[in-house]
Amino acid sequence: MKKQIEAKKYGMVIDLDKCTGCGACMAACMSENNVSFRKDESNKLDSITWMRVYKLTNGKEFPEADMCYLPRPCMHCEGEHGHAPCVSVCPATATDYNHETGIVSQIYTRCFGCRYCMAACPYHARYFNWWDPVWPEGMEESLSPNVSSRMRGVVEKCSFCFHRYQLAMNKAYNDGRRELEEQEYQTACTQACPAGAITFGDLNNPNHAVTKIAQPDSKHGGRPKNPNAFRLLERLKTNPKVYYLSSREWVRRAGDNYIENEGKKEIL
Amino acid sequence: MKVCRRSFLSLIIGGAAGTAFSPLPWKLIDDASIWTQNWPWTSVPEDGEVSHVNSVCTLCPGGCGITVRKVNNRAIKIEGMKGHPVNDGGICVLGVSGLQLLYGPTRVKTPLKRTGVRGEGKWKKISWDEAIAEVVKKLVSLRKEGKSHTVASISGSDRGTVAQLLGRFLTAYGSPNFIRTPSIQDSYELTAHLMQGGQDQVGFDAENSDFVLSFGSGLIEGWGSPVRMIKANSKWKERGKVVQIESRLSNTAAKADEWISINPGTEATLAFGIANVIIQESLYNTDFADNYSYGFEEFKQFVLSEFSPDDVAEITGVSSSTIESLAKNFAKASKPLAVCGRGKGETPGSLNEFIAVNALNALVGNINKKGGVWSVPDLDYIKWPEPEKDLVAENGMNKGRIDCAGSSKYPDTRYLLDRLPSAINSGEQYPIEALFVAGANPLYTMTDSKKVKEAFDKIPFVVSFSSYMDETAENADLILPNHVFLERYEDVPTPPGMQKPVISLSKPVVNPLFDTKHLGDVILLIAKSFGGKIADAFPWDNYEACLKETLGNDWDKLVDDGYLFHSNFRPAAWGNAFSNTPSKKFEFVNKGKAESVKIEGDEQSYPFILMPYDSMRLASGFIGDPPFAIKTVEDTVLKAKEIVVEINPRTARGFVEGGYAILSTPKGQAKVRVHYSDGVMPGIVAIPRGLGHTAYDDYLAGKGVNFNELIGLVEDPVSGLNAAWGIRAKLTRA
Amino acid sequence: MDSALIPEGVKRCSFGKFAIWLVIVGAVLLWGVFAMLLCWFKGLNQTNMNDAYGFALWIWADLAVIALGGGAFFTGLLRYVFGKDELKNILNYAVLIGFICYSSALLILAIDVGQPLRAWFIFWHANVHSMLTEVAFCLSCYFAVLTIEYIPLILENRQIDRVPFFHNLSHNMHGIMVIFAATGAFLSFFHQGSLGGTPAVLFGRPFAYREGVLIWPWTFFLFTWSAAACGPCFTILITWITEKISGKKLVKQEVIRLLAKIAGWMLATYVVAKIIDTWYWAAVTAPSKGFGIMDFYADNPVYGIWILILEVGICGVIPAIILITKTGRKYSFLLILAVFLAVLGVCLNRWVMVLQVMAVPVLTFETWFMYFPSWQELATTILPVAYGIILIMISYRYLPIFPQERQMEEEKHVSIFV
Repeated sequence: MKKQIEAKKYGMVIDLDKCTGCGACMAACMSENNVSFRKDESNKLDSITWMRVYKLTNGKEFPEADMCYLPRPCMHCEGEHGHAPCVSVCPATATDYNHETGIVSQIYTRCFGCRYCMAACPYHARYFNWWDPVWPEGMEESLSPNVSSRMRGVVEKCSFCFHRYQLAMNKAYNDGRRELEEQEYQTACTQACPAGAITFGDLNNPNHAVTKIAQPDSKHGGRPKNPNAFRLLERLKTNPKVYYLSSREWVRRAGDNYIENEGKKEIL
Repeated sequence: MKVCRRSFLSLIIGGAAGTAFSPLPWKLIDDASIWTQNWPWTSVPEDGEVSHVNSVCTLCPGGCGITVRKVNNRAIKIEGMKGHPVNDGGICVLGVSGLQLLYGPTRVKTPLKRTGVRGEGKWKKISWDEAIAEVVKKLVSLRKEGKSHTVASISGSDRGTVAQLLGRFLTAYGSPNFIRTPSIQDSYELTAHLMQGGQDQVGFDAENSDFVLSFGSGLIEGWGSPVRMIKANSKWKERGKVVQIESRLSNTAAKADEWISINPGTEATLAFGIANVIIQESLYNTDFADNYSYGFEEFKQFVLSEFSPDDVAEITGVSSSTIESLAKNFAKASKPLAVCGRGKGETPGSLNEFIAVNALNALVGNINKKGGVWSVPDLDYIKWPEPEKDLVAENGMNKGRIDCAGSSKYPDTRYLLDRLPSAINSGEQYPIEALFVAGANPLYTMTDSKKVKEAFDKIPFVVSFSSYMDETAENADLILPNHVFLERYEDVPTPPGMQKPVISLSKPVVNPLFDTKHLGDVILLIAKSFGGKIADAFPWDNYEACLKETLGNDWDKLVDDGYLFHSNFRPAAWGNAFSNTPSKKFEFVNKGKAESVKIEGDEQSYPFILMPYDSMRLASGFIGDPPFAIKTVEDTVLKAKEIVVEINPRTARGFVEGGYAILSTPKGQAKVRVHYSDGVMPGIVAIPRGLGHTAYDDYLAGKGVNFNELIGLVEDPVSGLNAAWGIRAKLTRA
Repeated sequence: MDSALIPEGVKRCSFGKFAIWLVIVGAVLLWGVFAMLLCWFKGLNQTNMNDAYGFALWIWADLAVIALGGGAFFTGLLRYVFGKDELKNILNYAVLIGFICYSSALLILAIDVGQPLRAWFIFWHANVHSMLTEVAFCLSCYFAVLTIEYIPLILENRQIDRVPFFHNLSHNMHGIMVIFAATGAFLSFFHQGSLGGTPAVLFGRPFAYREGVLIWPWTFFLFTWSAAACGPCFTILITWITEKISGKKLVKQEVIRLLAKIAGWMLATYVVAKIIDTWYWAAVTAPSKGFGIMDFYADNPVYGIWILILEVGICGVIPAIILITKTGRKYSFLLILAVFLAVLGVCLNRWVMVLQVMAVPVLTFETWFMYFPSWQELATTILPVAYGIILIMISYRYLPIFPQERQMEEEKHVSIFV
C-alpha cells in the first residue's frame, strides 16, 4: 500500500540582521530562471526582479539614521485554504496554489495577460512582460532548459525554483525514495546568499531549519512565535510563507501598517 | 447565370452558420493561441546532459571557488563552490553574472589591430602569428636602440604563474617597469614591512574576532575577499561586535553594532586617540610592548602628548566619552581586531592611517594571535630559477623604475602606478615607448582620468590582453585577447586578507569560444621569438605544461578538489615573527605628523566634500558590471543615464529630490541627479564608484560618470601612494 | 441622395454634410486604430502602464463605459418587466448606446490584454472563484443580448423593412423582446456587480477591499445600483446632446422626466448606501488592516479628500436631490446639470476603484505610484468614442430610433400653419 505522503509547505526565513544588501540573490535568481533584462533597468516599475532587495530606512536624521535591506521573493501566500490573493482572481487559472508543496504556480503559456493578479498582489511580487525578452548576441547560450522562457504579454514571478523541486523529486524517484532531504531542494537565492541570510525548507517539517527558526503557529494563521520574526503585511491575512528575522524593533514594525500608536501586540 | 440577392444572402448566412458549426474556426482559434506560445523569437534552450565543473572566479581579487553547471557544452549557471575555504558556497552578484561576460557581446573574439584613430573603434582582424610578430618587432627594435627599459607593463596582480611570467619576461628583456595596480594591499604590505619586517601578505583572522573596529572599511561592501567577509559578518552577528567608523551610513555601518560618524579624513587621529586611552588606562598588552616591540616609549610619548581625547574630539567630531568607551571596549575584548582601508580598498590610502591602526593591533597584542592580524607568507610553489640577463637586460634593469618605487624617495614602496602619468607627462625621466596591460583597465580605474589619458596618448605602442572591449582596450593599438577565466587554466594564490595560504585552480569550464589565446601562452611565444637568454628563461612548451610543472605533485589534487588549503598553517610566534626588522622586534614606527590628509580644492569655491562610496552591485575594478549586475542597481544610485549623488536634506537647499544638478570639482564636472539621504553627513556629497563607463556594451556604457574623472591624486609624503579620500566640490542648478 | 434610406416623415441634413462629419470623426477613429495596431504589434510597452499600474486608463474606461451603458438594461427592465411603457420612446436609443458601450468595452479589452489571441482561455480554463470570469461570461452573453435587441432596429430601416422576411423577423423579435430584456437585466445585474466585485475582493489592497455578504462584497451591489442610476442619466445626457446637435426635439419631455425621476430615486438610495459603506470601510475595515482613512488621501500629488467629496457629495448627493424633486426635473438646466454630475460621479467612482487602488502603497517602504496615460492609451480610448459617434450618426440618419420624432415633427408643422 502506498504510504500517505504528508503535504509539504515550502517556505523561507530571511535573517535581516545578516542580509548585507549585496544583491547576489537577485542575480542568482535571474541567472537560474532565464529572467530577461533590458538596456535601461533603472525604472524599477517595469524591471523584472523575481527576487527584489528593498532598502528600508528608519526615517531618523543623521547621525541617528539607520537602514536595513529586505529581500522579497514571492510570498507564496496561502491565504485561507490556498486562496492566495492572486490565485483567487486569475480568470484563466494560469496561477494555482499547489496543496502538496504550498507553492503558487504560474503557467506562462496559459496566462493571457489581464494583470488582475498583479492588481491583487500587495507585495508587487508579480511582473509583467511589457516587452519581448531580447538576449544580446551570444547570451542565449547561457539559458537554462529547466525553466521556460517567457514571451511578452504574460505575467511571471518567483516560483521557489520549482524546477529544482521537480529535478530533486526525479532523482529521489530514481533512488526509490518519495521524500526529499532538507538540502536536496534549495532555491537559487538561498544557495547564493554569501551571508547565509536565507533559509529554505518545509514549514510542515519540525526538523527543518525554517520551522525551528520561525516557529509558525498553525492555530493563528501561521504567524511566527519567534518574537524577532515577522511576516510582511501580516494583518492582511495573506498567510505568506516568507518569514523575516530582525533584532531591530523599527524593522519589525516596518513590516506592517499600524494606525498611529497602535501596538503590535494588541492586534494579533 | 444571374445570382439573385436572396440566394446570395442565403448563401452567405448559411455558409457562415455552417462554418461556425464546423471545427474550423475553433481549431484556428486554438492554433492562434498556440502560435502565441511559440513565436520564433521566444527561445527554447536545448536540453542535455548535466555536468558540473569546479573552478575559481577571478573577476575580482577575492578568489572565490565556483561550481559551474553545464548542459551539454553550455555553461548555464555559476554557483559558489561548497566547501571552498574562501567562500564555502557563497557567491557575489558579479560572480553569478560571469556567464554574461563569457557569452556576451563585449568579447574580443580575435586579435585586433587598430586601423583608425585611437578610440575610434576601427579594427582589423589579424591572426595570432601576425599579432605576436607585431609585438616582437616592436620589442626587438626597442632593444636594439638600448631602450628596453622603456617597456612597461600594468598588471592587476603580481602573484600566480601568469603575472610572474609577465614579470619574468620584463626582467629577462630588460625592463624594471612591472607595475601592479594600486589598492590597500600596497599600504598594508608597506605597513607590515615597516613594522614587522619582510614581505609577507597581511591576513586577518576575522572569523574568530569578537570585536572588529573598522576605520571605514567596507567589510560587507567588497573589502578584502568580499564573500568571505560577508560570511564573517554573519559570524559576528552570532557572537561578536562590529564598530564602524565612517562619515556615511554605508551598508557596513548600518549592519554594525555601533556606527560612529567621523569628520572625514581624520581616521588616523582617532586611531591615535584610542591608542592614547588604551595606554593611559594601561589596557595594552604589556608582554608584547615590553618584550617584543621596539620604540614603544617614543610611541607612547607621541600619542600621550598630542592625542588626548579632548584634542581628538575636536578634530574628529567624535565625543571624548565615545573615544574613551570605544578604546576600553576594544582593549577589553578577548579577540579584538582593527582594520582600515576605505570601502573596497581600491585606493591605497594614507600610510599614517595604516600605521596608526596597526599600532592599535599591536597594543592589544593580537598580531599573529587568534582573531587578529596575521603575517601570511607567500606560497613558494613557483620555484623557477632566476632568469639569466644578457647585457641589454642588465643595463635596462639598472635604469631605475619609471614610477620611482623603491627609489631613495620611496624606498619601501613596491609599486606606484599612480605616479606613472605624471612621470610620462612631465618628461623628467625617460619616455615609455610600449605598454602592456593585463588584468587591468587603467584608463577607467586610475585617478585623474584627464592626466591618465594625456599620458596614454604619449605612449606610442599600447597592447591590451583584455578579453573584453574595455576602456583601455578601446584605446589600445593591439588587442591580444586572453581566454575568459572560464576558458582557462590558471593558479589563483591566496586572496587578500585570507589568514591561511590557499591555492585555487581555475579550470576551463568550456572550450574557448573564440580565437583567443591564453596570456601565458602569448608570453611564452613572444619570449621564444627572441631566442638567446630571453628564450632560455622560458623552457616550457606551453602554458599548461608550465603550470603543471610548477605545481608539481599538487597538480592532481588541485584538478580533483579545485583548491589546496593549508588549514594547518599557524602564524609565527612573537619570538620569530619580526626577525626581518632592524631591531628584530615589532617596530612602532613614526612616519611624521598625523595630520589629516588634505584634499584638493578650496572651501570658498567648493563648499561640499565629494566622497566616493563602494557597492557590491557596482563593480569598479578592471571588470565592469554585466547586465544582471547593473540591473540590481537601485534607482537612487542610477536613474536612466544619470548617476545619483546623495546629500543630506539639511544641505540640500535649492535641490529637488531626484532633480538634476551640476557637480563640479577642481578636476571636472558632470550632470547628476540628487537624492536626499539622512545617512550622509551634512556637507558631504556621496557618489558611487563603478559607473561612467564608455566602453563595454549598451547595458553599461554611457551611464553616469566615472568618479575617477572628478578626483585627482594626493600623494602620501612617505609612501608616494595615493591617499586621496575625497575632493572638494560644488553643486549648482542644472 | 440617400433619402430612400432615411426613415419616413423625418428630416435629416444633406448627405454632403453628413459625409464630411463622418470623415472628420473617421480621422479620429483612424488615429485610434493606428494606436491600437501599435499596441498589438509592438506590445503593451506602448502604454504608460507598469508593474504598479497593471490596471490603468483602459480598465477605467471599461468600467465606466459599462456603467454608462447600464441605461440599456435598466430602461429595458423598467419598460418590459415593470410596465413603464412610455419609456419605449427612449428605449431604442438606450439600447443603441448600450450596444456602443459594450462593444467598446470588448474592443478595449482586446487591446488591453497581453496576449489577445489567448483571450478565449477565460472561457476554456475558467476559474470559478474569479470575478473576472463572471464578468467575461456575462458580458459576452449580454453583448449578444444587446445585439439581438439592436437587430430589430436595423431591420426597421425603410429599405430593409420592405423585405418581407426581415419585416416579419423584426416583428417577431419585438414580440419576444421581453425575454431578452429580462435576460439582459439578469445578466447585467451580475456583470455590473462583478465589475464592482473585481476591486473589492482584493484583500491585499485595503483601499479597495470591502466586506460583503456570502461571496459578494457590498461593492458588487453598489456597482449595479450606480449603473442602474447613472446609466439612464447617460442616456438622457446623450439624448439631450443629440437634440442640441440635430436642432430638434426627439423625445417628449414627460418621457425624459419619468426616466429622470426613476434614475433620481435610484441615485438617492445608492448615495445613502454608498455613504454607509464608505463609513464602515473607513471606520472598521481599513483600520483592521492598519490604515486610517487619511492614509489614502495624503502624501501624494493627486488623491486628496477632495475626490471623495466630489464623487459622493457633489456628484452624488446634489444630482440625487435635483432629480427626485419636481422642480429639479422641471427646469431643463437643472435636469441636464444633474444628469451630467451623475455621469461624472459614476466615472469618478470607477476611477477611484481602479486607479486610486493602484496608486496607494500597501508595503510601508513603498511610496505612492503616479500615472499618466500615454498617447496610445488616450487614442485607443477615444477610438470607441469616435466609433460610437459614427454609429449613432449612421443609426440616427437611417433608423427610426425615436418613435416620437415623427409625431413631434408633424405637430411642429401643424402648429405653424394654424
